Amino acid sequence: MTAISLRGVRKSFDSLVAVDDVSLDVERGEVFGLLGPNGAGKTTMIRMIMDIIRPDAGRIEIFGQQLTERVKEQIGYLPEERGLYTRQKVLSVLEYFARLKGATPTRARQSALTWLERLGLMEMKDKKVGELSKGNQQKVQLVATLVGDPEILILDEPFTGLDPVNTRMVSTVIREQAAAGKTVLLSTHQMALVETLCERVFMIHRGRRVLYGHLDEIKRRYSDNAVLVRAAVDYRRCPLIARAVPENGTMRVYLNDDVRPRDFLAWMLQVGAEVESFERATTPLEDIFIKVVQAGEGETDERPEG
Amino acid sequence: MRKILVIARHEFIATVTRKGYIFAVIGMPLFFLAIAAIPMIVETSGDGSSKERGMVAVIDRAGVVDFDLAAKVIERVEAASDSSSSLGPKKGPQLTSYEDLDRALADLQRRRIQACYVIESDYMTTGRVSVYVRDEGLFSRLNPPGERELYALLRASLVKGRVSEPMLQRVLRPVNLASMKVSERGEVQPSESEWDEVTKLIGPFGMFILLTMAIFFSSGYLLQGMAEDKQNRVIEILFSSVTPEQLLAGKIMGLGAAGLLQVAFYALVLLVPSMVLVVTVQVSVGQLLLSLVYFGLGYLLFASLMAGTGILGSTVQESNQLAAVWTISSIVPLFVLGPISESPHSALARGFSYFPLTAPVTMLLRISLTSVPVIDILISVGSLIVGILLAVRGAAKVFRAASLMYGKRPGLSEILRWLREA
Repeated sequence: MTAISLRGVRKSFDSLVAVDDVSLDVERGEVFGLLGPNGAGKTTMIRMIMDIIRPDAGRIEIFGQQLTERVKEQIGYLPEERGLYTRQKVLSVLEYFARLKGATPTRARQSALTWLERLGLMEMKDKKVGELSKGNQQKVQLVATLVGDPEILILDEPFTGLDPVNTRMVSTVIREQAAAGKTVLLSTHQMALVETLCERVFMIHRGRRVLYGHLDEIKRRYSDNAVLVRAAVDYRRCPLIARAVPENGTMRVYLNDDVRPRDFLAWMLQVGAEVESFERATTPLEDIFIKVVQAGEGETDERPEG
Repeated sequence: MRKILVIARHEFIATVTRKGYIFAVIGMPLFFLAIAAIPMIVETSGDGSSKERGMVAVIDRAGVVDFDLAAKVIERVEAASDSSSSLGPKKGPQLTSYEDLDRALADLQRRRIQACYVIESDYMTTGRVSVYVRDEGLFSRLNPPGERELYALLRASLVKGRVSEPMLQRVLRPVNLASMKVSERGEVQPSESEWDEVTKLIGPFGMFILLTMAIFFSSGYLLQGMAEDKQNRVIEILFSSVTPEQLLAGKIMGLGAAGLLQVAFYALVLLVPSMVLVVTVQVSVGQLLLSLVYFGLGYLLFASLMAGTGILGSTVQESNQLAAVWTISSIVPLFVLGPISESPHSALARGFSYFPLTAPVTMLLRISLTSVPVIDILISVGSLIVGILLAVRGAAKVFRAASLMYGKRPGLSEILRWLREA
């Protein structure tokens, strides 16, 4: 079932087209990556999904319907520009946000306490938010997103300012939420985390779609015809390869255009090479990101189906 | 509606538990009490010799004053002034005959006397009287002590023996005024004494002051609350759960209640005891209801304006500066409090009553002073409702656009564009 659906969405600010004819579907239960360089239109897209700003054209649906108050209650939103009531106590702030998501007073308190316990913040519950360390404030911020027990999580740059420990903690929470059937729309610049968390991604550049689809498929498409090999063999003798470059204790072997990895593996076995490891080399998402952005105008041939 | 109530409750609790609020609620009455106490302290610690019944020296070089009349004359003067005021009998100075100016001046310096009048020898032809007072600023020269008593004494001395006793009474007190009030419907009624008039006004006027204060306290909290939400960057999180209209409504309710609570506390601490002590409160039900209507409308108008303005600034201070335009225009009627109080049905009073920004304060004032014509009420309520609708719509529009602008204050052209759009 589609959790979030955008069809032909467009938004401009004066002469600047921030989002131009964007369509995408986020399926229920998946962690979906929304990528793009600064100012590409990611936050504008998210704000339109949240009905904070209205699109000039197009249609946005959540679980097949337009954003009503009831539907809004099913979304936990962590905006890029975020903050909390610094003069108020942690627990009361969290209860308030839960109540705004439709929870009863008892349920709101219960949920806030559960999440505080889960993230190791129980001792802070009666402290004022402003008295907490920056890291703990970030955790409280995440709890504020989760406390209403939403079906959809929209996280705009959730890892900004987090140390590695907290980054791992947030990643774990995202995975757990997805495992529990929740949908996560994740906007971030941390490509390594996208690779570990997301199944599908959408990349926007200058307001337009430049990448959309399954991460594996995209990575394959952007990969050179290369394999990573750890084996005792003289690569220069092989007629199937263009060149071989050492890389982190292995060898990155670039195959000729018409050669498939299995042909090269067969050749190695044929010449009696001892093969320790053999895997298809893929391009890191970060490299694809940079490549696409550098390609310029947002008009690439990347218009995959779906 | 449930979410509006959740917001209202949160805003109310967050505000009333703040140190600043508690300080304002408790500190303000203490401040007023201190202000009220200062004159009393000065009074009691002052120069006792001249306060009980001061002495004024009279040097009669013309030989016209009959000092035997002095005590009687002063009694009459005091009786005349007492009838127009119930603030307690005012003790005038005692007029004492002095022969020598040097001695009088020495006593003046030593504060034994408050002033020295010299009736010059050519008084009968010129009316020349010199007065000597200590140089204690402008007012000591403008209104020398014993002036009224001296005039009465001179008048009495000049006619003594030449007119009958009743005539002497009239010379000393030519008018015993009975004033009548003619209502708009032409009914004639004897008017109360000044003091009764004043006590009649205390209730309504106190209500005017308190409700005006409530409007500004509450809308001030709203301004601050809005600006803080923006400064704390929680607005976007709030908008993920509620609409700008719900947020506005919730804040207006919650902070309005906080402002009312503050004023109710002031009323309890300051006004009620003073009314119980001095006079029974006289507020008619009509006056009360009408005042509450204007309080409600005034608060809604200024709350919406303050909320819309609060969201524009990047910081609380910046928002405060921007909101000054509303505050100043709303208190304009207070600058012309005198003229409006003197003639509550003048063109000026009516004009201010019809303009939404000045209507709440003007109408609260007029209601406290007199009965306001129905047409004025209808027009001012109508204009206020229109003003509120425009302000609420404008605030909601500005909310949507401005709440997402961080670190940058929008220009006037930008604000106008937002108001036209969305």
